[in-house]
Amino acid sequence: MRMNRLFRTATALSFTGAVALPLLPALAQDDLVTRDRVGLADAENSLTFRLTAYDLYSADPATAEGFVELFTTFINEHPGWRIDTQLQTGNLNEEQARILEQAQAGRGPDCAMIDSAQLATFKNAGVLAPMTDYFTQAEIDDLFPYVREAVTDDNGDIVALWWFTDLRVLYRNAGVVPDAPQTWEETQQAALDTVDEGYEGLLFNGGRTEGTAFDWLAFFWAQGGELVDETGAPIFYEGENREKFLAALQFYDDLVESGAAPQRVATITTYDDITAAAAAGTTAMFIGGNWQYAQLQTTLPVDQAEQWQVSELPGPTADQRATGTGGWAIAALSDDPAKVEMCAEIAKLYAGPGNAFQRLLPTSAALYEEYDEFAGPEFDVFAAALENGQARPGVASYPEISNQIQILLGEVLSQSKEPEQALDDAAAALEVGSDS
Amino acid sequence: MVSRGGILANVATYAAAVLIAAFFLVPLTWLVSLALRTPQEIFFGASRFIPENPTLDNFGQVLRDRGFLNYLWNALKLSGLGALGSVIVAAPAAYAFSRFDFRGRGVMMMAILAVQMVSGLVILIPLYRYMGWLGLLETHVGVIAIYIAIGLPITVWLLKTAFDGVPIVLEEAAAIDGYGHFETFLRITLPLASPGMASALILNMILNWSQFLVPFIMLSRDAQWPISVAIYNYAGSTTASTTHLLAAACLITILPAILAFLLLQRAIVSALTAGAIKG
Amino acid sequence: MPKPIAQALSRRTATTPEASSIPYWAWLLPVMLVIGAFYIYPIIDALRLAFTDATLTGGAESYTVRSLQRVLSNPALPTILSNTAIFTAASVVGQQLLGLSVALLVVRGERHHLPGMLVLRTIVLAAWVVPGIANGVIWSMLFSESPFGAINGVLRLLELPTVAWLSNPANAMLSAIIANVWQGTAFSMIVLYAALKSVDPSLYEAAAVDGAPAWERFWFITLPQLKAAILVNSILITIQTLNTFDAILALTGGGPGRATEVLSLFAYNTVFYQFDLAGGSALSILLLLISLVLAALYMLFMPKRDM
Repeated sequence: MRMNRLFRTATALSFTGAVALPLLPALAQDDLVTRDRVGLADAENSLTFRLTAYDLYSADPATAEGFVELFTTFINEHPGWRIDTQLQTGNLNEEQARILEQAQAGRGPDCAMIDSAQLATFKNAGVLAPMTDYFTQAEIDDLFPYVREAVTDDNGDIVALWWFTDLRVLYRNAGVVPDAPQTWEETQQAALDTVDEGYEGLLFNGGRTEGTAFDWLAFFWAQGGELVDETGAPIFYEGENREKFLAALQFYDDLVESGAAPQRVATITTYDDITAAAAAGTTAMFIGGNWQYAQLQTTLPVDQAEQWQVSELPGPTADQRATGTGGWAIAALSDDPAKVEMCAEIAKLYAGPGNAFQRLLPTSAALYEEYDEFAGPEFDVFAAALENGQARPGVASYPEISNQIQILLGEVLSQSKEPEQALDDAAAALEVGSDS
Repeated sequence: MVSRGGILANVATYAAAVLIAAFFLVPLTWLVSLALRTPQEIFFGASRFIPENPTLDNFGQVLRDRGFLNYLWNALKLSGLGALGSVIVAAPAAYAFSRFDFRGRGVMMMAILAVQMVSGLVILIPLYRYMGWLGLLETHVGVIAIYIAIGLPITVWLLKTAFDGVPIVLEEAAAIDGYGHFETFLRITLPLASPGMASALILNMILNWSQFLVPFIMLSRDAQWPISVAIYNYAGSTTASTTHLLAAACLITILPAILAFLLLQRAIVSALTAGAIKG
Repeated sequence: MPKPIAQALSRRTATTPEASSIPYWAWLLPVMLVIGAFYIYPIIDALRLAFTDATLTGGAESYTVRSLQRVLSNPALPTILSNTAIFTAASVVGQQLLGLSVALLVVRGERHHLPGMLVLRTIVLAAWVVPGIANGVIWSMLFSESPFGAINGVLRLLELPTVAWLSNPANAMLSAIIANVWQGTAFSMIVLYAALKSVDPSLYEAAAVDGAPAWERFWFITLPQLKAAILVNSILITIQTLNTFDAILALTGGGPGRATEVLSLFAYNTVFYQFDLAGGSALSILLLLISLVLAALYMLFMPKRDM
């Protein structure tokens, strides 16, 4: 019977939460920006906005404060509106799947951030509302071509604003590698030289992650390779494309086999792993995203930070170049024109002042001129590389194609399959998948 | 007093205990190491196992965030009420399994265990559509209902064991005193089996505490999230690494579960121990 | 209802005359209702979806066996199934052995009043409640093959050869199993500890009189007494491990190649990466069938009286 007390303790524990809960949300009534809204609680118009936790609600206080200011200005310019904010977690796949499922069920947010790689899926699902009326023709014309193409639907309507882009570049510690290698051969040689000096060699994503396929695809695209035909069916394992695919695969395979890249690249699944090696000074070269430049600047002491320089990704020859371009879009999922317009306004807030604040790359040339934040020398390299930018194909089969490329790269990099064999197996898997 | 062999055995016991403790402790100390680092030091990996500039700022920053406390409350509410619901729903059935001998009893108990084999991954999508139809999406009630269902199989088994341990003689005595069967169950059996029920409650709470997919799919408002979902906010982004905050948030998150276990571990263990309180 | 109750009377003495006033199925009703609403209905729906071409991207669903065929004829399926078998078997054995060791140590410590065993138990438990996402962060740093990777760093200090923990396909599976066992041992520890505590002490007293050595006491008294607990535990852990992929997802994502891709991760990728609801449903039904067959196998070994 003595145990009765324990049961009561346990029950009490489980109730405390239920009772204390209502006390909490009543705290901040008149703040203009709170955890779940921007604007006054009793505003007459409202829309729901599903955003990532990278800006307004960033765990980094400086970023969050900057965006609170931007949003405060914004909502003061749109009196009578309240934005009910809904957070997306960093769990990218589940988040995008959830928005789709909710949108199908008519419970989606009015406005949402969508990964540029998923835009095609959302477009095909027919859940995005046209926004064309809320942009001027000049604004639309000024978008980078690959961006404009990705956000335009079959009717010629703009259905999203791809508000920032990113790209892949070659990083090098200029103290160790003074000249930027331009070709695959030069890159391998330069990496081998750094290995002789005690560094790890060239690092890149090689594990099971989207970044692996996407970073590497630049080398396939540089040769003019094409992943899918106009119907969206995969063609990369046939004919000329097959040769180009194998050549790019051979480039990675040779890097590992020659020791120019360590075998552990097959385990690298986040860009942070690579930043870590650069910060710790164990590598002098890596293939990374443009945002890592700023990370290195804030992580390393000034004298070391300025050693790190960026250049365009190498090609099979110096004039065959490409780089994968990603980023995020904002799109409306509502039928209400007023909400769609508001969503477009939010998208513009992110594209202009938002990008300037975060130093993310805008998708429109004019914005680079408009803001001083984009004046650094690294932006010249990024801008030049963007001319060879290539977005992921806007087809629903891309995620599976990427999945197969990740698998085959892993097999090649861990030396468990020869490139030809790995490609044939991926092709077989895709053939089974596409016969429905 | 202690024989030579006894001392040797004690030394061996400690040697084994230290080895096992090390296996479990080393990764945890990693988490502590990360939580004490400044953002700059995160990138230095193992080379800064002991941070050069240790800081408690990460804990402060996580705790100062009003949202974080709210996530903790939500988690406590959802896991607590879910666990309580599981125990209440499971108790009568567990009693029947313990006391009655009917045809198909063994098969039914196995069937209950079998439902636990269903991967949450896929029933969640049908469940999502179904909960939408019931109007329980975006509500804590909906999440709690699913938690109750998830906890049921193991709770039925645990409570059956607990009821098995309650001497039948006491119930017979109650019957002689004129108690009805349900009254006997409420007044005699349940109180006597309370350690078992407490442990089922706590085990369910701990399991619910770490549920991710259910609340994630069911709730889209940040204010309703439990910590298991919200913790992904600390998982960093393309522009900033927040591993130091993630580590601190994780440490704070596991504390309540450990505390609950420490407070109630005796009850948990005795509930799992069939018939341990017979005497 | 008199017939089952009469059977009960014949074997147990619990049922009093009043018992017949509430039929046994009424006691079961709440559980049956909840299970029906939250399990049976969704399972039937998942089964139905497996025979459609449903996707998360919407569009009309139509009935077809194509999705099922596609999933079952996937050339990667044999690899994935064998990965699943290795991962599950090794995790179950690892968690049971470690869990039993900890339980035995704690029980022995308690009997001989050795301080510190509570600490051991708490540490094991803490690993259990660490959120899955942190598990991945921690273990990928420990297994990191970079010059500053933790385990390899220690090996280098000891002048031992370093290990390709994650880049070698076979090692990657081992590493994923280690991380999973680390997280999951607490559960078997709790169950086995409880089972150990309930072993009738008089059994040991008799053995002590006979002068049986410790290992004989363990082998002939303790283990047989634990048989039922170990079997039920094995069922629970097997089910749980078959459905777990947190550790793998965070550590290797299933790579390198497909070296650590298990069935549940494959199902997850199918639903959340390819948005293929039909294929994912088919895979999860396959997962359910495997679990059922395994559970039935375990039950064959169960002592009759514990049913």
